[in-house]
Amino acid sequence: MKPFEFAQAHSTESARELAGRHGRYLAGGSDLLGELKEYLADPNRVVDIKTLPDSSAIVSGKTAWSIGTNVKIAALANHPGLQDQLPGLAQAAAWVGSPQIRNVATVGGNLAQHSRCWYYRHRDIKCLKNGGFTCYAREGESKHHCLFSGNPCISPVVSNLAIALTALSATVTVENGKGSNTMPVEELYAHAWFNPLAHNSLQQADLILEVKIPNGTNASAYVQASEKTGFDWALVSCAAAARVEGRRLLEPRVVLGAVSPVPHQVQSANEFLHGKTLDPGLADEAAEMILRDAQPTVHNAYKIPLAKTLIRRTLLQLTA
Amino acid sequence: MKTWPDKPTYLGKFHTRVDGAAKVTGAAKYPSDMQPPGWLYGMIYRSPWPAAQIDAINIEEARRTPGIKAVVLSGDLPRKVRYYGEELAAVAGTSKQACLDALRAIRVEAVPLPHVVKETEAVHPASTRVFPDYPNLSEPSVREEGDVDAAFAKADVTVEGYYTTQVQLHHSLETHGNTVDAQGDEITVWASTQGVFSVRDGLADSLNIPQNKIRVLSEYMGGGFGSKFGAGIECLLAARLSQAAGAPVRLLLTRYDEALAAGNRPSSFQKVKLAATRDGKLVAYEMESFGTAGFAAGGATGGGAGRAKFPSPYIYKVPNTRVKQAGVATNAGAGRAFRAPGNPPASFGMESILDELAVKLGMDPVEIRIKNDTSEIRRKEYRIGAERFGWKQKYHPPGSSADIVKVGVGCAGATWGGGGRNSQAEAQINPDGAVEVRCGTQDLGTGTRTVIAMVAAEAFGLPPEQITVRIADTRFPPSGSSGGSRTVSSVAPAVYDACTNAVAELKSISGMDNVTGDNWNTACRKLGMNPHVASGRWQEGLSSRGIGGVQFAEVAVDTETGFVKVQKILCVQDCGLIVNYLTATSQVNGGIIQGIGYALYEDRVMDAQSGLVLNPNFETYKLPGMLDIPQIEVILLDMPHRGVIGIGEPVHIPTAAAVANAVANALGVRIDSLPITPDKVLAALGKVPGRPERIASAELKKAFDHFNRMPVVAADEIDKFALGAPV
Repeated sequence: MKPFEFAQAHSTESARELAGRHGRYLAGGSDLLGELKEYLADPNRVVDIKTLPDSSAIVSGKTAWSIGTNVKIAALANHPGLQDQLPGLAQAAAWVGSPQIRNVATVGGNLAQHSRCWYYRHRDIKCLKNGGFTCYAREGESKHHCLFSGNPCISPVVSNLAIALTALSATVTVENGKGSNTMPVEELYAHAWFNPLAHNSLQQADLILEVKIPNGTNASAYVQASEKTGFDWALVSCAAAARVEGRRLLEPRVVLGAVSPVPHQVQSANEFLHGKTLDPGLADEAAEMILRDAQPTVHNAYKIPLAKTLIRRTLLQLTA
Repeated sequence: MKTWPDKPTYLGKFHTRVDGAAKVTGAAKYPSDMQPPGWLYGMIYRSPWPAAQIDAINIEEARRTPGIKAVVLSGDLPRKVRYYGEELAAVAGTSKQACLDALRAIRVEAVPLPHVVKETEAVHPASTRVFPDYPNLSEPSVREEGDVDAAFAKADVTVEGYYTTQVQLHHSLETHGNTVDAQGDEITVWASTQGVFSVRDGLADSLNIPQNKIRVLSEYMGGGFGSKFGAGIECLLAARLSQAAGAPVRLLLTRYDEALAAGNRPSSFQKVKLAATRDGKLVAYEMESFGTAGFAAGGATGGGAGRAKFPSPYIYKVPNTRVKQAGVATNAGAGRAFRAPGNPPASFGMESILDELAVKLGMDPVEIRIKNDTSEIRRKEYRIGAERFGWKQKYHPPGSSADIVKVGVGCAGATWGGGGRNSQAEAQINPDGAVEVRCGTQDLGTGTRTVIAMVAAEAFGLPPEQITVRIADTRFPPSGSSGGSRTVSSVAPAVYDACTNAVAELKSISGMDNVTGDNWNTACRKLGMNPHVASGRWQEGLSSRGIGGVQFAEVAVDTETGFVKVQKILCVQDCGLIVNYLTATSQVNGGIIQGIGYALYEDRVMDAQSGLVLNPNFETYKLPGMLDIPQIEVILLDMPHRGVIGIGEPVHIPTAAAVANAVANALGVRIDSLPITPDKVLAALGKVPGRPERIASAELKKAFDHFNRMPVVAADEIDKFALGAPV
């Protein structure tokens, strides 16, 4: 890695100031250190934000849960209240990496993590996402890549939390220099849909402060399919959340991960499910709607039937 | 002729490793831990191109990098590189970061050349050539017995299929490398190696230094699986860096390097046809195969193509057999011996088609094996295993379960040599009764040190803890490289000979009739001031070769996600005289786990466009983790009368075939390509739009057409693999 300055931030203002135009934030480091070692990132300064005050709390409030940016993934996965109230989020956290990674990785870092595409991460390949001219995955080894993309890069979003939080209608608060800006989690990825260079919508020195999950759903689930039993990335993941009355779904949201640069949801499918009584046939109909416009490559068409299965299984967990 | 004791005290018992505490506390120092005074880090600069003409390498800026003490080139210029990762230069410096910085300061003038990394593309006569003067495909060698065409014409039942296996990487947990101190006239090497003497001789040859001026040690090392025999280019570079810098250099490959240039198991593409009589007797077999051992498989490397060959029809004898095999060169790192070279791909192809035949005949897979397997031991093992596994209760016609998650069972067999060979050892008995046993062998993590302690303990009537075992030093009596499952079968007889000689000699020195056990200390005191050293060597009769094993697998396959979970593996293995039941069982566990990796997860991915390895890490080159490991049950057939036989390799061979057969039994369709990943399972079930259900794509069939247009030569070496020639 290239030499850099190291600084610790004790307030959001000083964090932004320290990050400046070429700095990077360090929380758990499980993503940043890899990028530094592979020379994918060459910040002039690494700003430790673990020292930010009041950033590591999980609070159950009257209208929402709030989760600080420095909450460890392990704390999410093992939180009894979350396991009970927001099982979809706890399950998504439990699928992240290994125990060792979950013990250091944070909520903010998980949401802001960069592409895991093996072309993007390769030290001797300069791909479109890395400032080159071509998305090699399109004609190459694309088993892990997108079924949907609004730009030539087909590297998918791989944050488990992004998928679960989108389903839970969560918002994320970002300090962007003009104050703290609160937006739906899916908006955090909007830029990645059309901009091949973007991993998310964060601008330089933008800092994720916290995530809020509104009360209002009483059912959520997250299901992931991987090649290995654990400590593996999702081939496809699916999260769903809703208010469930009997077996009726109210305001349901179904979201897929690892199939698009953004958490993939289809509004018409959510609306289709709203107010209906869930059964496997209904879930399959929704799945068809969600995958209808998929554009598979030579190697990733398997994600279509896989995603349909995960949608059905995730939805059925809501009423289980 | 010496014989093993009839009623042993220690042999065949469970004994924990004598070096277990040292390993778990970190007291055991591996070559990658060595820090001789003034030591430097070493790193290798590798070709960023899969193929290129290298005209010049400028190392001046690298030399000037702060902390850098030496930079050397690897090979003369100009030269061609033929794979991504080929060694071009090496640097030594005071920190890892200094070396990394220096690597980035190296400037190379090169002309990139076209490359080819996919086997099915490389076999095409018009393909880019790895070596300009030779086609990539070597001349296929053919072995033919009986009248194959007539036998197929007459046969009651015939099955055909295509099977493919991937390139697998060794990925020992300690990477390849050495700490080398070459400052003076004498060179010391702490090598992570399977052969201290082969490292010594290789380095002596490369540096033109007498063999007695080099000392190689490998007291502890972190695994090799067949990839760590010679000195290796990384050893030579470390020695040259040490000479140039005037300081010891520790050069261990990075995990990234390990995926490019430290060996691999060649791939295989197999077209197989098998015929039998109505009652299941095999009558005709035809197999064509090619595979890649990387750049070293081409016609220019004289015999290198053999490394992509394998024994066929593996453990079965089919009276009418035609086998045609070739290697195909690609711009990729060279293959190396890998735990039972050739055998796992052979087993996967043959055991798969045999199960297809059983299905067509309506026969039980165990029965068809018992009917056709000529090994009496394996037939017995199938019976024992089937009983223990509950095969009769568990086996069902393929795909007959209506469940979404389907359970299936499968089995497969294997053979290996594992015999001993010349090895020497010595036992030093001291006046205070303490014993030191020395042998220039290596412990790859298999428990060799513990086994030596147990053998010595048996001879002396002392507890193993009272024996100090010293190994892996070229100053000790020579022993062969640790490969071919031959370590224990070579070392145990030599140690036993040395120790029983010591007992005999102590009797004569002390004048006592019985010197072992309780009399030991009294007898040793009679040595007076002088320790006594007795020598021994490997003896015919204390070891033998040629063993068989069978494995049964039970899997659960989710037909909607394609996810395969191995639930159970049962291994029944013949291994002659068991020396240590515990470490023998550990070897079986390890072989099975590595076999599960081969079956389900591991796959080196090459990118056709760039010619690079896309997954040089443990994130995307997937190894089995704790959660992926099933219940493993091991039944060892103890046959003490046969003497010691090694089992490191045979226990790895049949796992993938047994798992693949279990998956086919669960689903009713076969995944004909390793590793069996969810995308392939879903495709085989016909669930993936636009993707064929079988591996036999038009591209693969076309590749075999090219293969069949090549002129052929008579087979000379295929059979050498069959019983586990030394690797």
